Amino acid sequence: MSWSCVQVEERLSDYLENSLSENEEREFRAHADSCSRCAPLVAQVSRMLGNLHALELEPVPPMLASKILDQTLGPRKAKRNWLSWVPVLWQPRFATGLVTVLATALIIFHATGGVKKSKLTLADFNPVNIIQSANSQAHLAFARGVKFVNDLRVVYEIQSRLQPATSGTPGQQAPSATPSQQKPPNESQQNRLTEGSFAEVAALVAYTRLRSAP
Amino acid sequence: MEADAQLVQRCLRGDGPAWEELVRRHTRRVYNLCYRFTSNSSEAEDLSQEVFLRIYRTLASYRTAYGGFPTWLTSVTRNLLVDHYRRSRRDRMTDALEDVLPVVEEKHSPVRTPDKAAIAQELSAQVQSALGKLSPELREAIILRDLQGLEYTEIQQVLSIPEGTVKSRINRGRIELARILQEMGVGPS
Repeated sequence: MSWSCVQVEERLSDYLENSLSENEEREFRAHADSCSRCAPLVAQVSRMLGNLHALELEPVPPMLASKILDQTLGPRKAKRNWLSWVPVLWQPRFATGLVTVLATALIIFHATGGVKKSKLTLADFNPVNIIQSANSQAHLAFARGVKFVNDLRVVYEIQSRLQPATSGTPGQQAPSATPSQQKPPNESQQNRLTEGSFAEVAALVAYTRLRSAP
Repeated sequence: MEADAQLVQRCLRGDGPAWEELVRRHTRRVYNLCYRFTSNSSEAEDLSQEVFLRIYRTLASYRTAYGGFPTWLTSVTRNLLVDHYRRSRRDRMTDALEDVLPVVEEKHSPVRTPDKAAIAQELSAQVQSALGKLSPELREAIILRDLQGLEYTEIQQVLSIPEGTVKSRINRGRIELARILQEMGVGPS
């Protein structure tokens, strides 16, 4: 005789934990596989158990054990060495802050021109001197940056002026699928273009030299 | 690793480091038990401290024949949680119904992300929310069996009820919990 829905429900945990005898399991399955009410129930509970067993433990608040020990043993003398701080500092919120502070310190160090041990005097620690030095370094860095950008612009201009003059040559030499359709360029026009471009480039180079001259 | 029973013996002789080891070894278990019952990390933290305080004071009453230190610890925790539940229920008699039911903390983002950890966290929150809708008897049986992994005999000792009742509560709890999760729309994983 096959089991009823009530029996299947009552023995569901035994079935899921493999605690049924062979005969009982056969009866259980015979009903559960054919019952439209019990089949989804078995699947549902089985899936939920899988989820429950896969759940990880919640993380414990970091100071809980210390609080318990303080309450039971009394406030204890901290027996930490410097390495015991490493796990705390390794946490993202501290590590990010630490990296930011270090980067800022590095930038300031470079902006002030670094510390020269051999010439270190008491005046180097004066905040006014530090600020003045940082200010002049910052202006110097800005001026260098501006000059670099300007130079770069001139180089690009030279390149763009040279390009029309030089790009014609390889285009003509390159093999073409329909060479007969291409018209040979006017030689005198090309020469004029090249001469004009070189004159402009020469003027630009002269201008750049004048600008960069102290 | 030194056995719990040996650590207890050392504690009874006034060995501080042995107690420290016991606390560090079992804090996570006790905290999680408290968290699953209360659904509140702050309350769980306070209750965990209370549990260890009680354990520390009554350590001399522990007998190895009881069924292992973790079972005893779970039993003490459970008794304290029952006291806490009764106390808070009395305090909340005049509160609104939604305040009486345990509420999952707003620490989990409702937005689904493909990250596995986020999915696990969301599932944990959903299970926690569903557990809060179970009756206390069924909830404690499920927590002890399926979240704390205790054996039936250990649960029998912790709850001081016959094994048949333990099995029946666990079975009913599982069916009820699955139904609640289904209603919440928690699909297959």
